[in-house]
Amino acid sequence: MKMMGALLVIAAGGMAGWVYSTLLRKRLTLLRALIQSFQWLETEIGYASLPLGEAFLHISVRVPEEIKLIFTTFTAKLNGRAGLTADEAWQQSLAEHRETLPLKAEDWALLADFGRTLGSTDREHQVTAIRRTLERLKHQASEAEEEYKKNERLYRYLGIAGGALVVLLFY
Amino acid sequence: MGFEEQIFPFLTPKLRQTLENLRRAVPGEWGKLEEIRLRAEQPLQVEMGQSLLVTSAGEPTKDAGRALRVTAEDVLRTLQLMGGNSLYTLEEELKEGFLTLPGGHRVGLAGECLVEGGRLLRLKRVTSLNLRIARELKGIGRILLPLLTQAGRPLRTIIISPPQAGKTTLLRDLIRSFSNGEEGLAPVKVGLVDERGEVAGCFRGVPQLDVGVRTDVLTGCPKREGVFLLLRSMGPQMIATDEIGRPGDVELIEEILNTGVGFLTTAHAWDTKDLALRPSLQRLWARGLVERVVVLSRRLGPGTLEGVWDGRTGEPIISQVQRLEVRR
Repeated sequence: MKMMGALLVIAAGGMAGWVYSTLLRKRLTLLRALIQSFQWLETEIGYASLPLGEAFLHISVRVPEEIKLIFTTFTAKLNGRAGLTADEAWQQSLAEHRETLPLKAEDWALLADFGRTLGSTDREHQVTAIRRTLERLKHQASEAEEEYKKNERLYRYLGIAGGALVVLLFY
Repeated sequence: MGFEEQIFPFLTPKLRQTLENLRRAVPGEWGKLEEIRLRAEQPLQVEMGQSLLVTSAGEPTKDAGRALRVTAEDVLRTLQLMGGNSLYTLEEELKEGFLTLPGGHRVGLAGECLVEGGRLLRLKRVTSLNLRIARELKGIGRILLPLLTQAGRPLRTIIISPPQAGKTTLLRDLIRSFSNGEEGLAPVKVGLVDERGEVAGCFRGVPQLDVGVRTDVLTGCPKREGVFLLLRSMGPQMIATDEIGRPGDVELIEEILNTGVGFLTTAHAWDTKDLALRPSLQRLWARGLVERVVVLSRRLGPGTLEGVWDGRTGEPIISQVQRLEVRR
């Protein structure tokens, strides 16, 4: 019986470590998908000069589900009768999905910054803002990748080791 | 769909509510609404038969103190909504000073300009918006059709009128009638050069107002290039354009005549004498290029017909003043 309990505790520790490392990987995937989205956005706005509603609609069919949600919430708010500006619609959409995505505070901050000038300046400035956001996203992504590579195994072993430690202490 | 459903989504909630109140307060007058004017830090103004200000409760007033004050923010937000929250898509519009909404309603813009080397680049800050309600009055030109045709052929016609007397509305209806072949006329392929976008009210290139089934519209194109593009590519039997009056327009009409197609256009003037005085248009009369002159005014309200003249002889064809109406 005691043995069973000990195994369970170790397994739980291992699980926690695994979940944490998965979240790290997930953040990396999301950041990469965001980079791809902003590259598309640059084309839709810079070359095709599409209005935001249409641009995001085009992009949202090509991105992972989590990011699609941010984009579709944004376009729904933009087209709603509340008369929101693009910035307001963007910030509200980010706030709604903040809890569900494993992004870090810095990632959210840079997305929020992007919203400030969204739709309210000329095309040249829009493209500049997109490129700046892209650079920041790439920076975040390389950091996330490094963190993931460095810590993936660490967290998994740490989980198991943590479980084992608890077992040793209480056995 | 009424024009309210078409334009209200582009107004900020505050303005939308105020106009909704106005509509309920004076339902009878509301049908006469011609313009909604927003100016930064000025009272909300509407043109509906007379020029009025509006309180936030929707009451018409002449007292500027009681009227709802439109803020610079209101104007900016409204503009953003009109541009799909994407001001960068309005670059051309900010250069031209107007944009078109779905339904063909026109919005005139004014404000602070960005100039480079003495040339206007675009508006950099918009502080005045003039929303003009586009009205389609199908059949308004019906009584004129027999006067503007000869043996089924549309005569070369110019409509002259002061502002706001309905020349664009009449032009649109005549184009539609010729294009559809109404009242027993043979249908005509029309090429419409809608330089200012007011006749067909194109939104993303598609006419929002009925200009007939055989009409090809070239919108936002300079008149001269537009006319030749259509002549080359679309084989029109008649060329229609919005307001002429700039130097070069008369030569353009002469060239259209050489190709043998008809034309229908408008010019801005108070009456025929005023028109005759405009140097840029004098040659039109001298050379007898115009076969029919239709004169409008606002004497009995918008769409008052002052008369129709033969452009070559100067003889009146009808000179009885009457209000053009849609007769069913």
